[in-house]
Amino acid sequence: MVITVRRLRTTAQYVSFIVLMYGGRFGVNLGSAVPCFACPFVRGCGGQCYLLGVQGVLGFGMNLESLTGAPLFSALGWVAVFIILTALLGKIWCGWVCPFGLVQDWFSLLRRKLGVRERMASEKTLRLLSPAKYILLGYIAVLPPLVTVGLLPSSFYLPFCNICPGKALLPLFTLDGEYVAVLYSTFWTALPAVTAITLVGMFFKDRFFCVFCPMLALIHLLKPVTAIRLLKDNDSCVGCGNCTRACPMGISGVSRERERFDVQFDSCLDCARCAESCPSDGALRLNWHRRTLFSSSRLYASRRFRKP
Amino acid sequence: MTTQNTPAPDRVADRKRRNAARIAGEVERELQSLRGREDRLAGYDYFLDLLAGGIHPGAVERRTGMPALNLLCIQAPLELIHAAGFLPFKIFSGSHAADALNAGGLPALTCPLLRSVQGLLQFEDSLARRPWVLPTTCDWIVKLPEMLRSTCPDAKMPDHWLELPHLKETDAGREHWRDEVFRLKKFLENASGRRIGRKDLARSIATYSRAWEALSRLEARRQAGAIPFVWFLALANTFFLDAPERWTASVDALIPTLPDNAGRKEGRIFFAGSPVYFPNFKLPRLIEEAGIAVTGDDLCSSGRIFPGGVSADAASEHELVAALAQRYHQGCLCPVFADNDRRVHNILAVAGNFSGVLFHVLKGCHPYDLESHSLENALKRQGLKFIRLETDYTAEDSRNLLTRLEAFRQTLGEA
Repeated sequence: MVITVRRLRTTAQYVSFIVLMYGGRFGVNLGSAVPCFACPFVRGCGGQCYLLGVQGVLGFGMNLESLTGAPLFSALGWVAVFIILTALLGKIWCGWVCPFGLVQDWFSLLRRKLGVRERMASEKTLRLLSPAKYILLGYIAVLPPLVTVGLLPSSFYLPFCNICPGKALLPLFTLDGEYVAVLYSTFWTALPAVTAITLVGMFFKDRFFCVFCPMLALIHLLKPVTAIRLLKDNDSCVGCGNCTRACPMGISGVSRERERFDVQFDSCLDCARCAESCPSDGALRLNWHRRTLFSSSRLYASRRFRKP
Repeated sequence: MTTQNTPAPDRVADRKRRNAARIAGEVERELQSLRGREDRLAGYDYFLDLLAGGIHPGAVERRTGMPALNLLCIQAPLELIHAAGFLPFKIFSGSHAADALNAGGLPALTCPLLRSVQGLLQFEDSLARRPWVLPTTCDWIVKLPEMLRSTCPDAKMPDHWLELPHLKETDAGREHWRDEVFRLKKFLENASGRRIGRKDLARSIATYSRAWEALSRLEARRQAGAIPFVWFLALANTFFLDAPERWTASVDALIPTLPDNAGRKEGRIFFAGSPVYFPNFKLPRLIEEAGIAVTGDDLCSSGRIFPGGVSADAASEHELVAALAQRYHQGCLCPVFADNDRRVHNILAVAGNFSGVLFHVLKGCHPYDLESHSLENALKRQGLKFIRLETDYTAEDSRNLLTRLEAFRQTLGEA
C-alpha cells in the first residue's frame, strides 16, 4: 500500500480520536492544554481542550485564593505548554488531530455518499463569516473576567463550554447513557439549539463548526511562533482552482493569490488537501520550520483522482 | 449567387473522393516515416494503428461503438461530453492537403490550421454527420463558420457554441463560463437523449483522470529524455482516436518498455507556441535533424491536450459540473485570454529546466504571434536561449528553417 498524505492524515485522525477520547481509560493523559477539541466532558478522555483552561484562567475570580502559589504557577505552566504545542504543530491540531474535526468529516463523507451539494461554501458567505471565530474568542475572553468581578453570575464561569456543540456530541462516544443523561441535565438552554444547528450545518458544509471555532482563531493568533507554513510558488500556479475545491474550508485565496509566498490564511486547517490536489510541480508546499513536509506534484495529483 | 457556386452533385462527390485520397496519401507518407524510424518500439504500434485507421470520427465510432462529437480547441470539458455517452473527437487540423483545398475566399494570411480544418469540414462527410461544439477562442475560430459558409454554403456548421469569457480571473467571467458549461450539459443531454447524472460524471472524471495519470507518467519519462518529440506528439495526437480507457492502457503498457535514458542531457529545449498536429510533423522533424531534443512542450496538441486532474471530492452533480467548468477555464493556458500573465509565468518557471525555448508561430496565428514577443523579452532577461520560428504547412521553407535551427543548436552548445 502506498503511503499518501490522505492515508497519513486519516490514520492520524483516528489515532488521535482514540487517544483523546478514550486515552484516560488506559492511563494516557496529554494534560490540560491540548490545542484542539479534546473534550474534558468526555469521561475517560486522554487530554483536555485548552479552551477550558483559558476560561478557567480568565475566570480566576471563582476561586481567588488560588491566585497565589502553586495554582498560579500551574496555570502559567499550562499557558506555556499550550504555546509550545501550538508552536510545534500549528493547525495540524485542527486538520489532523481534532476529534470533533473527524466527527465533522464523517458528516461530509455521508453528504458526499448521498450526492448532496455543499451549501454555505461560496466565497462571499465565507468571507462574511470569517470574523465569527474571533467574535467567539472575544466572548471567551470577556465573559469569565466579568464573572470574576461579579458582573455576571457564576453560571457564566465556562461560557464557551456551555454553548459548545462538542460538549453535547463528543460525550456520546463514551457510550455511557447514564453519564450523558446527567451531563445533559445541566445544559444551558442555548446548547440544544446550537447543537441542532451544528448537526445540520456539518452535514451541508464541510467542517461547518471550524468556521466558528475559537480554537482555530486562537491558534491563528499564535501564527508568528508556529512552525507550520503553507507556501506557494506563484509562478508555477496555473490558477485551476483544484486547491479551493479540495479545501474543506473553501479557501479561495490560495488559488487567487498572485504575489504572496505565505498562503496560510486564517481559516486554514493545515490539512494539506490543497497541496495534494495541486497539479503543478512545487506550486504548493507544506513546511515545518523550513523543512518541506510535502510538495505538490503533477504525478501525485494525477494518482489522487483516479477513483470515482 | 449560391447556385453559381454550387457544383453539380456528381462533381462534388468526385472532388471529395480525390481530396480524401490526397489526405490519405499525406497521412500514409507520415506514417511510413514513423514506421521506418530506428527508435520505433513495439509499444508504439497501437498508436500507429490508430493513426492508420483514419483520422476522422467515422473511424473512431467503428472502433469504439460510441457516437463521436466534433471539437476544436481544449475548453469544452471532455468528461462532460463523455458522460453524455459521446466520444469527444478533436478535429485533426494538421493536413496540408486539406489546407490546400481552400484556394480562394480567405484572407491572405489565414492560419493554416484553420484552413486545414475548413478544408476537412467541406470534404469530410464523416465530420459533417456528427454534432460539433465550438468554443469562442481566437478570432480565426470565431470566424470559421462564417468563412466556411461563404466558400461552401452547405458546409457543416457548429451545433453548439461555447462562449469563452476572455477574462478568467474575474468573478463575472468565471460565472459566465460556469453557466456556459451548464448550457453545454443541456445541449449534450438533448443531443444524446439521456440525462447526465452525478454517477456518469464521476465515472467519466475518473476515466479521464486515469488517462491524465498515464499522460503525466509519460510526460515525466519524456522530460527524462526517454521519448523523442515526434513520438510524443504522435502519441498525444491519438488521444481522440480511441476510447480513453484503451488509450490509457496502451500508454501504461508502453511506459515500462521505454529506454531508461535516451539521448544527451545538453541541448534539450522546451517547445512552446502554436500547436503541431498530425500529419504535419515538418517542424519536429527538422528540429531532430538539427540535433536538438525537445523534452518538454506547452502545446494544446501535445502536453496540454487535456487539462486532467479535476479535483472532484465533491460528489453532487452541480459541484462536479462546476468543478469541470473551473478546471477548463481558470486552469486553461491558451493565449487567447486577456488576463494571461499566469501563462507567461508558468512558461518562465518551467523553461528554467531547459537549455532554451523554441517558439513556434503558425503564420497568421495571432494569439501566439503576439505573445512570442513578450515571452522573448522575459526569457532573455532570464538568460535563456530563445528562437522564434514562423512557418506554415508548406515544405518550401524547410531548408531555411533547418539552417536557423542548426545555428540555434550552436548557441545551445555554448550555454
